[in-house]
Amino acid sequence: MTDNMKRTPLYDWHLSHGAKMGDFGGYEMPLWYTAGPKDEHLSVVSNSGIFDTSHMAAVSVKGAGAFDLLQHCFTKDLSACIGPARKQLVAGRCVYGVFLNETGGVIDDALVYMNGADAYTIIVNAGMGQQVSDHLKHHADGKNVDILDLTDQLGKIDVQGPVAAKIVSTLIQDPETVFEKMPYFSFKGDFFGDPVEAGEVRLTDGTPILLSRTGYTGEFGFEIFLKAEQTVALWEKLIEAGKAFEVLPCGLASRDSLRAGAVLPLSHQDIGNWPFINNPWPFALPYNEDSSGFTKPFFGAASLADPDKHEVTQAFVGFDPRKVIPGEDVVVLDDALTPIGTVLTCATDMAIARHEGRIFSIASEDRPTDLKFRGLCCGFVKTSSRLATGQIVMLQAGKRQLKVEIVEDVRPARTARRAMAKMI
Amino acid sequence: MEVRSELLYTEEHEWMRIDGNICTMGITDFAQDALTDIVYVELPEIGTIIESGEVIGNIESVKAVSELYSPITGEVVDINRSLEEEPELINTEPYDNGWIVKLQIDPGEVNSASLLTEEAYLKLTEKAD
Repeated sequence: MTDNMKRTPLYDWHLSHGAKMGDFGGYEMPLWYTAGPKDEHLSVVSNSGIFDTSHMAAVSVKGAGAFDLLQHCFTKDLSACIGPARKQLVAGRCVYGVFLNETGGVIDDALVYMNGADAYTIIVNAGMGQQVSDHLKHHADGKNVDILDLTDQLGKIDVQGPVAAKIVSTLIQDPETVFEKMPYFSFKGDFFGDPVEAGEVRLTDGTPILLSRTGYTGEFGFEIFLKAEQTVALWEKLIEAGKAFEVLPCGLASRDSLRAGAVLPLSHQDIGNWPFINNPWPFALPYNEDSSGFTKPFFGAASLADPDKHEVTQAFVGFDPRKVIPGEDVVVLDDALTPIGTVLTCATDMAIARHEGRIFSIASEDRPTDLKFRGLCCGFVKTSSRLATGQIVMLQAGKRQLKVEIVEDVRPARTARRAMAKMI
Repeated sequence: MEVRSELLYTEEHEWMRIDGNICTMGITDFAQDALTDIVYVELPEIGTIIESGEVIGNIESVKAVSELYSPITGEVVDINRSLEEEPELINTEPYDNGWIVKLQIDPGEVNSASLLTEEAYLKLTEKAD
């Protein structure tokens, strides 16, 4: 590790608890702790896991021009993005989208939180605060808007898994009120304790937090934002409260395998500097109802106009845990063993298995009792043209060939969207 | 990290136990720790003739895919079939129930296979740390 690597407030805790550390986005982060990545992955699916995600960057955008700036730069249409009725973004709700460059390539993906009138917080990936801030400032000419990189002021902890609300409820004031009317992709509270319309959230000792019903594992849970200097105290409380539920601290390896099984892209790997189209994430673009066009103009849109010209990204799942490590020597082969593309992500979701043509999860209520869960490899391939769902392709790495199936979804019985009432 | 004095080692972090003309192979405690949770082991067929330096199997962890090389020429006479059900045995008992393959070898070739003693292997892992 070099000395210029950044560290989160939890760095010392990770080291003193046996974490294997690695570089991620310029930060020295835990890859896994003593339990290992497999148990951490399984823990999130069956109980919960606690992740240090303080390396992620936060950018504040405030002012009368904030809405117009985001409408121009962010792919989601903030005037029509909430629920099936496509209502406008309101305080207490957040949405997923991407920032594009002029050729339609992804600068980064992001969640945009609406904190209040003319006030938004953008959460982007590790190390991306500066670049996204600069991009926004570049497009903010003449608009009344303040753009501020808050990354180093904030800590962030994700509590992910079916018991997440039970753990968090022991640590916050008035949990019944907080959890009431808290759908997926909503939040309450503020990391600096500023008053917010959706209501405040405080830890039992009075520490203000922003509690967001989001995450990146495909499982039910929260992302918690608070002041950087308060991160360690909350982490220790979560670890302590989680013991009753057999909850584990989890590193980035399990985060990667969980998100792959949930068909979620990793920015700069599954989405990147190529046109953001023909992928499993059309919900990040502002399509109109019949998908014939976009509901708003936005920066980079022109380059997405002709989808047939671009490669296609699709999810796959294998037949056993074996995987390939994506790289230059790894290719996707069709039936005739002709190279047709590359592998973007390949990870093993340890919580799933195949049985008679169907995939079950350890969380599937109807899983066969004698089914052994050894895991299946899964991820994303990018190919020259669209493959049919169910099509079998080979991933070739040197002499090894792995058979995988093109799919729409991977890990079943995920809990992310489950109603709060069922989880408390 | 555990290293055993009765075993010989390779620079690729494999161990061998030479017992007459039978060479039992596995991966070291250092290797299993670096690989982390092992989820799949590709074993060779019994009867396969393996040349020195050839790939004899694949070990998959959550993190990586690594090839197992044979440092010595021989014929595969046994494979650890319990790894098909419980690949994690390599993590929990790398030198015992986590053995991977048994080769019938010419004992005269052991000396020319440039294997490491416990002491030499320990030095190697200290450098790797």
